[in-house]
Amino acid sequence: MAQGCPINIWINEERYNELQELGLANMTEDVLAGMRVLKLQCTEKQKDELLKFYPAAKFDTATTQSIELLPPETKEKMFQLVVKNKSLKVVREFLKGAKEG
Amino acid sequence: MNYEGHGNREIRERVIPESEVTEKIRKLKQIPVSGRCARECINIAYGFFTPLEGFMGKEEVDAVCERMTLADGTLWPIPIVLDVKEEEIRTKKIKKGDSILLTYTASSLAMMEVEDIFRLNKTKIAEAVLGTTDERHPGVRMLRGLENTFLGGKIALVNPPEFQPPFDRFWYTPRQLRKRIVENGWERVVAHQTRNVPHSGHEWLMKGAWFSANGELPVEKLKTGILVNCIIGPKRTGDYIDEAIVLCHQRLCEARYFRDDIHMVTIALWDMRYAGPREAIFHAILRTNLGCTHHMFGRDHAGVGSYYGSYDAHRIFDQIPQHKLKIKPVRVLEWWYCPICGEVTYSGLCGHSQERQKFSGTLIRSMIEDKVKPTKLIFRPEIYDKLMESAEKYGFGSPFCTEKYLAERKPVFKLPALW
Repeated sequence: MAQGCPINIWINEERYNELQELGLANMTEDVLAGMRVLKLQCTEKQKDELLKFYPAAKFDTATTQSIELLPPETKEKMFQLVVKNKSLKVVREFLKGAKEG
Repeated sequence: MNYEGHGNREIRERVIPESEVTEKIRKLKQIPVSGRCARECINIAYGFFTPLEGFMGKEEVDAVCERMTLADGTLWPIPIVLDVKEEEIRTKKIKKGDSILLTYTASSLAMMEVEDIFRLNKTKIAEAVLGTTDERHPGVRMLRGLENTFLGGKIALVNPPEFQPPFDRFWYTPRQLRKRIVENGWERVVAHQTRNVPHSGHEWLMKGAWFSANGELPVEKLKTGILVNCIIGPKRTGDYIDEAIVLCHQRLCEARYFRDDIHMVTIALWDMRYAGPREAIFHAILRTNLGCTHHMFGRDHAGVGSYYGSYDAHRIFDQIPQHKLKIKPVRVLEWWYCPICGEVTYSGLCGHSQERQKFSGTLIRSMIEDKVKPTKLIFRPEIYDKLMESAEKYGFGSPFCTEKYLAERKPVFKLPALW
């Protein structure tokens, strides 16, 4: 599913209901006790750009193998882009918007 | 009241009466001590470390390292030492037989009778106690960071600590706690050691341990309690803040996930050594002194990285003769979520190991950092709410330790000025 360096967007019951209504629930993976995750696709280049943009974030190579510590509001924006585009390929659009301020 | 602690020794408090303090400490040379030594001073003085009456001398440390006993043969796995700058000893002309005043944060803490002044081979201690000399092991780093000179001798507290909210309501000395256990009507008490905010996996660990400890006792009137004993010690960025740990455990009871007549939350001051199996024995001794009859040990208890096997902390109890330790270890495997069973279940019972979903601290942390409320099968909603409330109230907006929290948090306890 996700290539390179994924970004995990956590999906609880509320978010899952929203995705179900839009017919996007099948994009999620069941991880733990009903908690699901959307794995956003992110290339190596996009990962570097994100980490430069958010210095507190990191690529967790030890455990989750994903980009962690992005601000919650950033992830919320990415989630909304997934809903809008009905696609997991939203990082490029997100970065474009972020650069434009 | 039964005050018999580890090693069949009575738990006695070593606290100098307030009326005698000024006269006794007036002319003493003062030695400042580290936070760890201050915490251990308090523990020794109130009997958490019974039968220790002071910081260990060289002979005692050697016995602990070589035989895992005190010099008199009592089971003891970890050296408890007071390290002091050599310059302090030299300039203040400290010698054996002196009485000195230990100070912490510029306040008087304890009197000490200096019985031994010595140096230690830190490599030898690391090998014996931690099983490694690898500098990446936090216990090794702690050991290497100690000063090179050590003082051994009995101590007595001159200035009882004042615990600050919210910790004050969770602080019980061993004698106070034993009284509470009797008042609760508990005949058995199973200890749950924690440095975590409880998710459902932790909750079920405690519930499973309660069943084990209660065993054959009648069930019409419950006489077994769970003592959640939160470890308060040094923190690193990314750890849960101490306030959230104690308050979230308390919330489990307030929200009735545990009956209030079988559950109690307290704190203990301790700087983890991450010594795996040896530290498990230490925890067993500590909780013996608190009045517990059973102690839960899960996977990777007190371990770190891959220095110890997942169940080394279980197996070490096989080597301890029964009469050496009053407390019974309750050995538990993992609790996980099984999507087939549709519930949190025990790995020793559930046969769906291929489908299991493990409670991963890293994953749960990732959810919390994203401020996405986990499902109630992972985190009780009341616990999540209390965690976020604690973050606002104590953690400068974060439930995890940040640089700001570590620099500006309110102290767990204060030592009042004596004059």
